[in-house]
Amino acid sequence: MLSVEGLTVRAGSVELVRDVSFEIGPGERVGLIGESGSGKSLTALSLMGLLPEGVTAAGAARLGERDLVGVPERRLKALRGQDVSMVFQEPMTALNPLMRVGAQVTEVMTLHGRPAGQARARAVELLGRVRLPQPEQVARAYPHQLSGGQRQRVMLAIALANEPGLLICDEPTTALDVTVQKQMLDLIAEVAPALLFITHDLAVVASVCERVLVMYGGRVVESGPIREVFGNPRHRYTEGLLAASRLTPRGTRLPVIAGSVPAAGQFPDGCVFTNRCPHATPACEQEPALTGEGHAHACRHPADRG
Amino acid sequence: MPTHAGTPLIEASDLSRVYHRPRTSLTRAGEAVHALRGVSLTVRAGERFGIVGESGSGKSTLLRLLCALDQPTSGSIRFDGQEITGRPERRLRFLRQSLQIVFQDPMSSLDPRMRVRDLVAEPLVALGEPVGGRVAELLDQVGLPASAADRYPHQFSGGQRQRIAIARALAPRPKVLVADEPVSALDVSVRGQILNLLADLVDELGLTLVFVSHDLSVVRHVCETVAVMNGGEIVETGAVDDIWAEPRHAYTRTLLRAVPTLEGFL
Repeated sequence: MLSVEGLTVRAGSVELVRDVSFEIGPGERVGLIGESGSGKSLTALSLMGLLPEGVTAAGAARLGERDLVGVPERRLKALRGQDVSMVFQEPMTALNPLMRVGAQVTEVMTLHGRPAGQARARAVELLGRVRLPQPEQVARAYPHQLSGGQRQRVMLAIALANEPGLLICDEPTTALDVTVQKQMLDLIAEVAPALLFITHDLAVVASVCERVLVMYGGRVVESGPIREVFGNPRHRYTEGLLAASRLTPRGTRLPVIAGSVPAAGQFPDGCVFTNRCPHATPACEQEPALTGEGHAHACRHPADRG
Repeated sequence: MPTHAGTPLIEASDLSRVYHRPRTSLTRAGEAVHALRGVSLTVRAGERFGIVGESGSGKSTLLRLLCALDQPTSGSIRFDGQEITGRPERRLRFLRQSLQIVFQDPMSSLDPRMRVRDLVAEPLVALGEPVGGRVAELLDQVGLPASAADRYPHQFSGGQRQRIAIARALAPRPKVLVADEPVSALDVSVRGQILNLLADLVDELGLTLVFVSHDLSVVRHVCETVAVMNGGEIVETGAVDDIWAEPRHAYTRTLLRAVPTLEGFL
């Protein structure tokens, strides 16, 4: 379905994402996890052709037969919202506050050539499909009249309107309450065609996806099936992240990763995790390659199995 | 581990807060919103007290009342035996000294145009107390280098900024530290550092901690007592471990079930 080869994103001379490669099969749900500054959102935006001014992507990304990287805006326009669509983190900024919700769902269909009448009917149907109660009434509401969870459902309805082959969700539930988050995650897992799900929350990714890519410093440092990567992490960063995510009982020390995530362009050469890694040796100054079939990692001193 | 045999430090009884929506008609008053409905709680000296709830549960309203940043519509709050509701700001000095707050987002709670030195000293200056070498001492306590004093907030990472906010809160040597979602805006790898730091400081300085969060698992790590809020009421309160193991209220059960856990999938 989607295949990404050597995707690199640069802002001037600073490399923000480096040599990212992965594939998503039809119906597959893949998670992309990382902390802020790891390059996960840039990876998604470059697939949508939505990189900010001055930031450029190189490499290859193919959705079915069509190229996503390095093609003119005119071609991207035809793809975006049609073959690949995206749900953003903050629905209040992603939705137009001056437009009724129904019209916003309709718009994405008429833009891609569906007759207006047909699109309007389908918009209401879509709002029902994302389980908004009384979809006819919701369609007439403005975004501010809906709750955060409802707004995010509207975003999902817009994203699904043209039956895209790939859905990208960038932290879709981070702004939501936990009880609302659960409903939203269940819904996404149910309706998504192929899914690229971006989050910083390991537990969330485990509840939605089958496979996961761990990003740090603009690189994929580990990838594989969720059970393998989370049950048996090899890269020291993944290991530290998992340990830090488990909240131990009161009165005990939480395991931590030393230091903090460096600013963009300030990551060390070689393995990007060396300056925070307790296992780093001079050998780590040589950049390790992502190796392994299925469960791959880029670490010179990987954690032991078992 | 201090047991909560301490004397009651904060006693809130039957607190209510009603807000009014703006008037939409000339003949009728604006709609009333009952943000808090008859909430009572006791925080004892040395206790780590957690407040859990989702948006709209009233936890922020309760927090504002406990910190005397807002006045309740009815009910009373006694801090260390003294009634704090209905007092003018000039008679709240003792509270401003004894109770300090760490907010969720250090980027918006720290003035971007002030140096760290001035940010940390500000509570002391406001109370008219000598600053002396206190800033260096505080920065050291929260694990920041002394050189941090000359820099501005934007030159620090999120976790470091939260350390600055903690140093600032500790400046007037408060008895009570109120932390409002202090780790929600932080990355996972940094969250542990801040939670460990808070635990250390509470122990070393013998602080009473009021910790507000939407995440019951974080509260379970930090606190011994918890109050679960929903719809402006405390629906369940007690020892965290008991509530975690055996939630009695339906809402608490829903909340616990909704939290995604790694263990559930491995």
